[in-house]
Amino acid sequence: MVTAVDAAAVVKPVAPQRGGLWRYILIRLVLIIPTVFILVTVVFLLMRVTGDPITAALGGKLPPAQLAERIHEAGYDRPLIVQYAEYIGGVFRGDFGNTITDGRPVVTILLQYGSATLELALYALIVAFALGIPLGLLAAYRRDRWQDAALRIAAILGYATPIFFLGMVLKLVFSVALGVLPASGRAGTRTELALQSLDGQTGIYLIDAIRLGRADAVGDVLWHAVLPALALGILTAGIFLRLVRTNVIGTLGSQYVTSARARGVGEYRLVTKHAYRPALIPIVTVIGLQIAVLLSGAVLTETTFEWKGIGFMLSEYLKARDFVAVQGIVVMIAVVVAVTNFIVDVVAALIDPRVRY
Amino acid sequence: MSLVHIRRGRVGIAVAALAGTAVMLAACSGGGGGESTGGGAGGDLIVGTTDKITFIDPAGSYDNGSFAVMNQVYPFLFNSQYGTADVTPDIAESGEFTSPTEFTVTLKDGLTFANGHKLTSSDVKFSFDRQLKIADPNGPSSLLGNLASVEAPDDTTVVFTLKNGNDQTWEQILSSPAGPIVDEEVFSADSLTSDDDIVAGNAFGGQYVIDSYKINELISYKPNPDYKGALGAAENSSVTVKYYADASNLKLDVAGGNIDVAFRSLSATDVDDLSKNDAVKVVDGPGGEIRYIVFNFDTMPFGAATPEADPAKSLAVRQAMADLIDRQALSEDVYKGTYTPLYSYVPQGLTGATEPLKDLYGDGAGAPDLDKAKAALEAAGVSTPVTLNLQYNGDHYGPSSGDEYAAVKSQLEEGGLFTVNLAQTEWVQYAKDRTADVYPMYQLGWFPDYSDADNYLTPFFSADNFLVNHYDNSEVQELITAQASETDAAARQSDIEKIQELVAKDLSTLPLLQGTQVAVVGKDVDGAVLDGSFKFRYAPLHK
Repeated sequence: MVTAVDAAAVVKPVAPQRGGLWRYILIRLVLIIPTVFILVTVVFLLMRVTGDPITAALGGKLPPAQLAERIHEAGYDRPLIVQYAEYIGGVFRGDFGNTITDGRPVVTILLQYGSATLELALYALIVAFALGIPLGLLAAYRRDRWQDAALRIAAILGYATPIFFLGMVLKLVFSVALGVLPASGRAGTRTELALQSLDGQTGIYLIDAIRLGRADAVGDVLWHAVLPALALGILTAGIFLRLVRTNVIGTLGSQYVTSARARGVGEYRLVTKHAYRPALIPIVTVIGLQIAVLLSGAVLTETTFEWKGIGFMLSEYLKARDFVAVQGIVVMIAVVVAVTNFIVDVVAALIDPRVRY
Repeated sequence: MSLVHIRRGRVGIAVAALAGTAVMLAACSGGGGGESTGGGAGGDLIVGTTDKITFIDPAGSYDNGSFAVMNQVYPFLFNSQYGTADVTPDIAESGEFTSPTEFTVTLKDGLTFANGHKLTSSDVKFSFDRQLKIADPNGPSSLLGNLASVEAPDDTTVVFTLKNGNDQTWEQILSSPAGPIVDEEVFSADSLTSDDDIVAGNAFGGQYVIDSYKINELISYKPNPDYKGALGAAENSSVTVKYYADASNLKLDVAGGNIDVAFRSLSATDVDDLSKNDAVKVVDGPGGEIRYIVFNFDTMPFGAATPEADPAKSLAVRQAMADLIDRQALSEDVYKGTYTPLYSYVPQGLTGATEPLKDLYGDGAGAPDLDKAKAALEAAGVSTPVTLNLQYNGDHYGPSSGDEYAAVKSQLEEGGLFTVNLAQTEWVQYAKDRTADVYPMYQLGWFPDYSDADNYLTPFFSADNFLVNHYDNSEVQELITAQASETDAAARQSDIEKIQELVAKDLSTLPLLQGTQVAVVGKDVDGAVLDGSFKFRYAPLHK
């Protein structure tokens, strides 16, 4: 007979070995370098496939002589290997060059608009948690019934629907047809002006609005975030829902839950007390993968709702064929994804030492 | 109570509190969609646009979005009054040719920038000298090609020495993107000054100063009490300009009352839709943009470099095309009236504009005429159908170019005189190909540098014109040179009219459409002036 104590022993984590965590972190950290290096190289080469960036951005706008002069000044008429070496050197110094269309340092663009994207990603994660986890628990609790089927279909629809399509539908319904939610922007004009006048802005509007001390500004910022956050968050919510449901059902079949069930613990309590926490552990890992999804999804969501973050700027620079800016932004996104995955790996290792082996 | 319970309880309370706060705050914000407007004379206005700024340093940009800012904040020696394309002294007291190659300007007394610095002739000299010295490829220094030097003999006198005498476009050039006067104590003499430095230096002397600036997102303007120019003081308390990437969002916001004015660039269907909305007013005026087809005289059918070269047949092909084009249909069906038919080379609204193509081609009243087209080809002995290879571009002149050229193809093929092979090329390649004789006939568009007929004639029909289409008519070229230095206004206008008449007979290009400036304003907003200056000024706007 398996007792509750035996069942607990089954899920008890393996005791960490001395130095194992640090070795794991070091290996993961070292692996980031070639990953980023390969990414930078691939992006650099892809951006050169269509020729030099000056011609891409300004070809047809400048007379041939001026174009040639600009190409020469920027050094794009030199051997590719020389350009590559200089670019890599610049990246290591934190210098991604200047955009071609408006001459601004790419780093400034990254810093200026990165906070907006971060804010949107956080809102989307809140939506994903708020929808995905409770609904996943509900689906597990009502497994194999119509509620479970309906939620599973909704989850599939959620992550199978293209983000831009979902964004457009939300915008058409709630902004155009019903007129109840704003179609674009991160805040109303007057709120943005007020935030602009704030000393030491963080660029995260919700924080800035709270610092401003005006309830209407906070409300305005949150109100503008509803549709973009839903458009971006529903995809991840669908994934969370499926993951939580599967893990909770899996845990419900484990020995210690069977034992608890035998002791007369009700199904609702089993789900919400015994199966709930272990089922959340894999979500930590999935969040790492979702960061990449959220950042790539941000390009479409930010463009649809004119949420002026990195994704929006990437789309604008792509339209302008400003490949220096595009290159810098893509490399930055790649680095963020690599670093985030590193952090998630470390957190996962802290939660569950078995991942270190 | 277990740890899990405690955590879940806290999370639940936090989520509930957050949700409650969000709902309460959202309610406080009135739904987030509405915008309260402040008080004050003429009110606070919000203008929306899809234009983009590159730099607000006049030496570093030459585009609509950047010039729209410069127009509000920098002083000009000459400018056009509201409602006209013709220019008069602005911060200048007077300006005239004191010799054929010397244009002397006298400044008004006591001019200052908003930062308190004196605005003297030294600043004027500095402004033009730096344009020539920096000569940024993205800047407008090419407009100053006739400027030899600038002198400032005293604080209020400026003498421009020109290479070619009696330049009748000079006053217009002083009002153009090359003409803003900047503060020599803030701007760099030999490099571009950053937008942040300009704003921080409050280096403005126009009708407005910039109160806050976030490029291509939000700019707020306040009236400049130190402006002493001819345009007068602003009739509003402030203007905030919001920048949009998508015209449909601009439309939604102006229709919903979130912004007071939408200027540039709503789509034709959006304007058509908004014109039926009682909450807004559609204001229009002549636009400086023209759309046209260029003929390459070497490579078009029967062109000089083709095996069947025949100038008479080549002209007949062009004439027959002109007979068949239905500009009214293009205007209404494709552009919903946001472009109007263009029957000349100089758009309506500018001094000297005529409509010679209306009389010469089609039914004589602007409509197409198939019989006339047939007759033109028959008279020249051209066998039909003639194959036309017509090129257009889909990514530079707006998304409706495809519809426009599909309609042109359909019009030209109606009656069986022409078979049109329509092809599209991306702009980067297009711009290279068109000057390399690749396209026998092709689409182009033009925005003026300044509001003068000359800007629609010299670049197109002079010997070394930018079209590089091998058109060469010595009589036209002599007249172009003559009008540029003709000091008698009536005689100059006569020259301009004669040029249009001659070119209409030669058909070096085929004008199709003239842009219309369209602004959509809230029903309580007045003062939107769209005129032949093609400058949209915020100062007369008020509620």
